[in-house]
Amino acid sequence: MSYGIIARCPRTGRLGLGMASYSLAVGLYCSDTARANTGVSITMGTPNPGNNALAIRLFAQGFPSAQVLAELIGNDPNSDYRQIGVVDREGKAVAHTGAKTRPWSGHRIGEGYVAFGDMLAGENVLDAIVQGYLADPATELEERLLTALEAGRNAGGQVGSSGRVPERSAVLVVHGIFDYSDWDLRVDKHEKAVDELRRCHEEFKLFAAYYVERSRNPREAIPQREFSDMLAANRNRKNP
Amino acid sequence: MTYSIIARCHRTGRLGIGTTTTSLACGRRNESVRPNVGISKSQAMYVRAHDPRALNLLALGFTPSAVMRVVEEHDDNFDYRQTGIIDREGNAIAHTGANCGKWAGHKVGPYYAAFGNWLSGPAVVDGLVDGFLAETDLPLEDRLLLALEGGRKAGGQKTEKNPKAERSAWLRVVDRQDYPEIDLRIDMHTNTVAELRLLLQEFRLYQAYYRERCRNPQEAITEEAFVAQLAASTREPCSSPH
Repeated sequence: MSYGIIARCPRTGRLGLGMASYSLAVGLYCSDTARANTGVSITMGTPNPGNNALAIRLFAQGFPSAQVLAELIGNDPNSDYRQIGVVDREGKAVAHTGAKTRPWSGHRIGEGYVAFGDMLAGENVLDAIVQGYLADPATELEERLLTALEAGRNAGGQVGSSGRVPERSAVLVVHGIFDYSDWDLRVDKHEKAVDELRRCHEEFKLFAAYYVERSRNPREAIPQREFSDMLAANRNRKNP
Repeated sequence: MTYSIIARCHRTGRLGIGTTTTSLACGRRNESVRPNVGISKSQAMYVRAHDPRALNLLALGFTPSAVMRVVEEHDDNFDYRQTGIIDREGNAIAHTGANCGKWAGHKVGPYYAAFGNWLSGPAVVDGLVDGFLAETDLPLEDRLLLALEGGRKAGGQKTEKNPKAERSAWLRVVDRQDYPEIDLRIDMHTNTVAELRLLLQEFRLYQAYYRERCRNPQEAITEEAFVAQLAASTREPCSSPH
């Protein structure tokens, strides 16, 4: 029911996921997808939402990615319908695409990442996701994941029983060193969810440092309204 | 620049949060809700690390008021924070620091805490509570959304320049599972609370289908077929016995 990518940033060790889907609120299935210095996993195809927290706990017990994947499959009578990607904190990546996931379905495994999808227009969608992800390794993980989604969408995305289906929801999550996410953006229902995710992402980037700084130094923080006005003034200066 | 309600359903024990704010993507803070433990929601000049730590303390067995005391003792800027904490039994507590803007405040009752800062006035918190208490038989997510709508109707974040300053909204309800039953987000919009209502209405149409498809994928119809059925049933509202 979706396509996307999970990855570990080889420069920073940050762990993240980007996904887009015809289903609504695909981010609903992404709770506990990643934990700092632990691992990242996702179960799609037909989701098994309990798998994410189980995978995190198995990682935390010291299981490497291959063993986590084996346990998730062994624990699920419907594993034929699931598509699972697992990347551990060392970047070892493994995946499973069940025989009963909707065609075309499959995955690509690379160093520190798994690209996956079902109901795809074809294999080329996966190739595009990988190319998008690898296009600029010097950028932040959230940028790379979003570029990968856009490439997958541009390559044809998902196809249902009567042709191309739109991406109606999308999600982007990255965990760094904290107990909480560094980046977590969602579009739950939209006609062009990937474009809308890009729009949110660009806007959020303008505010991200401000949000961190005002928590640390509330005594010196300016109100958000004032900050927004400053941003608007800067924009006007650049595009008079 | 935020108003929120955290609550435990007195009938089912489900825990939930409804929040809306001027900041983008408020629903990214999913570390604030933990099934079978409780909710800690910090806002105003919040620190992200405070909520997971508060929930760790609740999980160890501390009461909400003891947790709040620990948070206060280790925070030099407690006067800039606003926090609500509720445990799995529904014991709730809230704190509004003196430097959380005007107007800021909270109301705590059995099974809920409602709190907000930089509001147009105290009526917003009253609106949250009135909305939450209006229909106590409804599922928790509906009550939380009614609360947000009550706060919004009472003025919300309204300013002179901007009558609808809320840019994001979030509704999350957890039951016994690790993963949420309801987790709906509006990350960036100009009419967030109304948009959240539309999203919940739409999601409701799919909710049972999505849940069943995960549990019994062998018997699930395709989503396109489901969407076609939905479209047909809206076209002929009288043809369904239900």
